[in-house]
Amino acid sequence: MTIGNLSPTRFRLPFWQRLADWAPTGISIIFGYAVLFILYFPIAMLMILSFSGEPNTGIPGDWTLTWYESVIFADTAQREGEAYGSNFRVGDPLLLSIMLAFITAVACVIAVLIVGPILPRIKWRGPFLVGFLMPLMIPGIVGGVGLFMWYRLVIHVKMGIWSLVLAHFVWAFPFALLAMLVVASRFDTRLMEAAEDLGAKPWQRFWQIEIPILKPGIYAAGFFGFLLSFNELPFSIFMRSGQDTLPLYLWIQSGAHNTTVPLIFAMSTIVTVGSIGLTFLAIKLAFGGGKNDVK
Amino acid sequence: MTSSEAHADGARASDEALVLSVQNATHQFGSLVAVDNVSITARRGEFLTLLGESGSGKTTLLRVIAGLERPTQLGGIFIEGLDVSAVPASRRNCTTVFQHYALFPHMSVGQNIEYGLRVRGVSLSERRERAMEALKLVRLPDKYERRVHQLSGGERQRISLARALVTRPAILLLDEPLGALDEKLRVDMQVELLDLHKKLGITFIYVTHSQEEALTMSDRIILMRSGNIVQEGPPTDLFDRPGNRFVADFMGVENLLEGTLETVSDGRASVRVGDHELSGIWSGGNTPAAGTKVCVAVRAERIRLSNESGEVQEDAVNRLPCRAGITIYKGKYLDRTLDTDIGDVKARIWDHEADLVDLTSLWWREDECAVTGVEDG
Repeated sequence: MTIGNLSPTRFRLPFWQRLADWAPTGISIIFGYAVLFILYFPIAMLMILSFSGEPNTGIPGDWTLTWYESVIFADTAQREGEAYGSNFRVGDPLLLSIMLAFITAVACVIAVLIVGPILPRIKWRGPFLVGFLMPLMIPGIVGGVGLFMWYRLVIHVKMGIWSLVLAHFVWAFPFALLAMLVVASRFDTRLMEAAEDLGAKPWQRFWQIEIPILKPGIYAAGFFGFLLSFNELPFSIFMRSGQDTLPLYLWIQSGAHNTTVPLIFAMSTIVTVGSIGLTFLAIKLAFGGGKNDVK
Repeated sequence: MTSSEAHADGARASDEALVLSVQNATHQFGSLVAVDNVSITARRGEFLTLLGESGSGKTTLLRVIAGLERPTQLGGIFIEGLDVSAVPASRRNCTTVFQHYALFPHMSVGQNIEYGLRVRGVSLSERRERAMEALKLVRLPDKYERRVHQLSGGERQRISLARALVTRPAILLLDEPLGALDEKLRVDMQVELLDLHKKLGITFIYVTHSQEEALTMSDRIILMRSGNIVQEGPPTDLFDRPGNRFVADFMGVENLLEGTLETVSDGRASVRVGDHELSGIWSGGNTPAAGTKVCVAVRAERIRLSNESGEVQEDAVNRLPCRAGITIYKGKYLDRTLDTDIGDVKARIWDHEADLVDLTSLWWREDECAVTGVEDG
């Protein structure tokens, strides 16, 4: 037999073998789309219904902006005695939630800047990390009750805005820390040595080397702090003492009055769009920069 | 030359000529003594190399000089006559080129180079001017605007060099700067570093584990082992006159034949190895008593071959009968292993014409062979 005397033909595996090759991928694809559908269908539906005339029927159509008007002009609407939104006043809870979220975000950034860069480099980082991240595994209700007992009976924090801030910080900190650790654990401390060697004083090393390099982690921590606080419900239930956060208010309203459900749809849509916008902004801030690092 | 003699040398040199003096530095990591009571000096404009294998303490010593490591015990560190023992790294008049470059990833090439000037409050325009100068010096004049991640390894190392030079330090510390580069680039960079050193007249203190790099570039080499100085001197000293067996081995002497010392006279030592009497230049420290175990160190390229018909050299005092072993073709030369009754001897034959098939003996000249102590010190 001579070498190279077979004419080449297109090579194909039998059908069943090809199917077996593709099956795992195929199942993954179908499953993936199913999950995406389950995730996004209710949100999409909610958004569509918030523009519909009869949202309580669950059938889209008869497009209107009434609900948004009612949400935004709730106070006015109430004065004019309109049917929908007579009790739906979202202004104060929204303001409170934004304020809480902002304070929580700032607190998270500061705490994470103190802990984050050091944690990957200390000897007992494992136990510390577990300790810091434990709140992730504690159900919100349990944590809420625990904090309630602790603040109320042991350290006598007055229930109100500050107890809410504390609770939200406890809840958001582990996420913020995780976000920071992703960046901080890759931070090359030898850069700090190089800066020192070149004559940089400690504060210069901090502002000019550490902060800019950790910037994505800082933004991520602040962003997590903000959103997690803004959406937090279980802790808030126990910590509120007369203060209604936005999620709490929406929750109470949705349970109490059938008539306000359309307004909740509208409000949720506003919050969702706002959150997505904030996310994009955070990503842009964290990774889009680069040219304005040095004055 | 022993370390105490070198130290006396340093003390004799005028203070102005001494740009660096480290006295009795000891540094421990836990129970590990990385640097063990070491004293070194460097003259202005000198190219000094700290040579040693990993764990010998050379990098730790460099970091002690830079101020990045606080020595556990210290007599004193003087840079340009000033005691900097308590001065932090940021205020010492020396900068470091790191093996891992340590360029700031969030800054452009220009910003990296300017950093040392920026923290000193130098104006923007002067910063830029001096950065451009430094870039020209390392032959990358058009990379000012580049991002660090766009550079190759060799370019990064040059930027790191420019960044360290731009502040015009009294001493440039180089921590295995060529370690991460490939062979050819390394050889090119050696030449460039030498050029820079000549041009700038700055004292270079260079850490490496490569004896070849040390020999190529240094005015003086300090060979270290487990935190101590084993030998220091000009490259030719370490290369041709190793102070002990370790130095000979580290400097790449292929043939180390152990025997007992018979006599040392006029700097020439004769040694009994097996049934043979070998002689060479005594290059250990103090002359030991006859009967001491010593080591005959001879490089493979000094070994010559002869056969029955070949003429006998007059000064061929070191002659051993031998049989041919394996030959390895290395392109530029041949590595031959030869069996003698005192063990294998390696010979390197550069001239293929001189390679003998019917060889019967090998020999080497007395003055091309060092006899040295077996132990350190």
